[in-house]
Amino acid sequence: MGTSDAALVRRVQTGDTRAYADLVARYRDRLGRYALHMLGNREDAEEVLQDAFVRAYRSLASCDDPERFGAWLYGILVNRCRTAGARAARRAQRFVYDPTALERAPSAAPDGRTEWEDVVRWALARLPPESREAFLLKHVEDLEYEDMARLTGAGVSALKMRVKRAREQLRAILKEAERV
Amino acid sequence: MRGSPWSGAACLLAATLVTGTMAAQQIDPRLDRLDAVTRSIVGALVDSAVAAALPTEPLIQRALEGATKRATGEVIVAAVRRLAQDLAHARDALGGTASPGELTAGAAALRAGASPAFLTELRRTRREPLIVPLAVLTDLVASGVPVDSAAHAVVALASRTRDADLIEFRRAVERDIALGAPPAAATAAAAGLTAQSVDVNAGARQQRPGRP
Amino acid sequence: MFDQPDDAVERMARHLRQPVRIDPALDERVMRAIATLPTPVRSTAGVAWSWLTRPRRLTLTPLGMVAAAAALAAVVLLYRRGPGPPVLPRTDTRPFQFVLVAPRATRVSLVGDFNDWDATRTPMRRVRATSSLWSTLIPLAPGRYRYSFLVDGAHWRADPAAPAARDDEFGTPSSVVTVGGS
Repeated sequence: MGTSDAALVRRVQTGDTRAYADLVARYRDRLGRYALHMLGNREDAEEVLQDAFVRAYRSLASCDDPERFGAWLYGILVNRCRTAGARAARRAQRFVYDPTALERAPSAAPDGRTEWEDVVRWALARLPPESREAFLLKHVEDLEYEDMARLTGAGVSALKMRVKRAREQLRAILKEAERV
Repeated sequence: MRGSPWSGAACLLAATLVTGTMAAQQIDPRLDRLDAVTRSIVGALVDSAVAAALPTEPLIQRALEGATKRATGEVIVAAVRRLAQDLAHARDALGGTASPGELTAGAAALRAGASPAFLTELRRTRREPLIVPLAVLTDLVASGVPVDSAAHAVVALASRTRDADLIEFRRAVERDIALGAPPAAATAAAAGLTAQSVDVNAGARQQRPGRP
Repeated sequence: MFDQPDDAVERMARHLRQPVRIDPALDERVMRAIATLPTPVRSTAGVAWSWLTRPRRLTLTPLGMVAAAAALAAVVLLYRRGPGPPVLPRTDTRPFQFVLVAPRATRVSLVGDFNDWDATRTPMRRVRATSSLWSTLIPLAPGRYRYSFLVDGAHWRADPAAPAARDDEFGTPSSVVTVGGS
């Protein structure tokens, strides 16, 4: 441990390609979580993640602030997820939901956790992409609104509204799931 | 050679029986789920539709929906009759070449408040089947979009937009409405974006299951 | 983090914050992909490029606005070209998936225009033995179909994920699915 992002980025920028592997390993799971929740499908998430890492590498020369490599990479991923989500929607699969993966998943834990997982995935998939993105960045990735604005290009007040609406929608969806 | 005095009556009786049997056979057996009176009235409405060259399957499905939902015979008959009228109006607007699917979607659009002139304009504008544009209009109106705004956007997009893009357009409008945009403004904005993206996204389509 | 007591949503966020494991083989795939790319060495040209491509505020003169409007009009006119020869409808079917969250249900059926509104024809299955999600996949030809879910043989439920059918005279909710052909 100890090598900073900036040091690794500078090594890549001076031709040490292998240093990029450390950056990929460092950000793989954290960015993967966002992509997985955003797209709802592990295969799509890994594809987008790989694409984001490759694109980031390709434009690493233009990364003006290596100290903020993580935020910069995040921005690329958020964008790629938007594109992939729109493509998936155009493919007529509005709700990113993966029944095959669910069927392959282990059977429910005695505490019913797996059932809760299903509901969480379903509820998240029901949110419009803008709301899902805002909710995940705020309440799962724990970003400040100013950082979210930089990543998404949306204004802070619009983002606050999206997060508020996402919470309202989720509350209604979760209540509905309990009722049936 | 003279026939028996009963022969004429027998022929008449036989003819009546045959005609009656044929009429009974013509009633779709799926309608057996209706009570006898409702079945005969719905059967007559279906016969009228056949005579008018209108699709009968939507009428049968509407009757079966009513039966499964335990509606009264009166309600079922009213629903089927109204649908038959809407189908006839849709056919008047869309022309005699309209497919059963187009007439069904057209009937729903008229019920949502679309004008017959909109249906005619759509037929004039679009080469592809009209099921999806008509359905998109109906769904937009159901989401609170004023019918004129919805019709304007659908006609503008319909000439060269594929079904999948129109469905995505509807979803974009629903998303924006859910995010708080006024329905008419959301429709205009999404129509603009869809128009821009149609040529860009003319790539391959998926083979994954679709979703409603 | 939440402005008001919001237990279910907060519980959901907590669940989503749990770490996720992505297959480490992804690292190798990324490294293989970038091996074919030029090294992103930061050069003077790169700095100049980032200056050139930096976002800027554009001010449009009245003449520029007229030109932009003309370009937009051209796009719209091009877009609204007249119809050519009719395209025949496609009759092939494609699979459609229907999903309902119903944790307390013991049985759920999909009932609609595609199965004669017969509640026995298309039973839905839990995606796993104890799951709350009920799912079924059916082939649909292009068209517009009305449908409902029947829960435990008695309760009609519309699909919360689909447009509502407004032309419903039977007093129970129905939804609509539209299948396109192009």
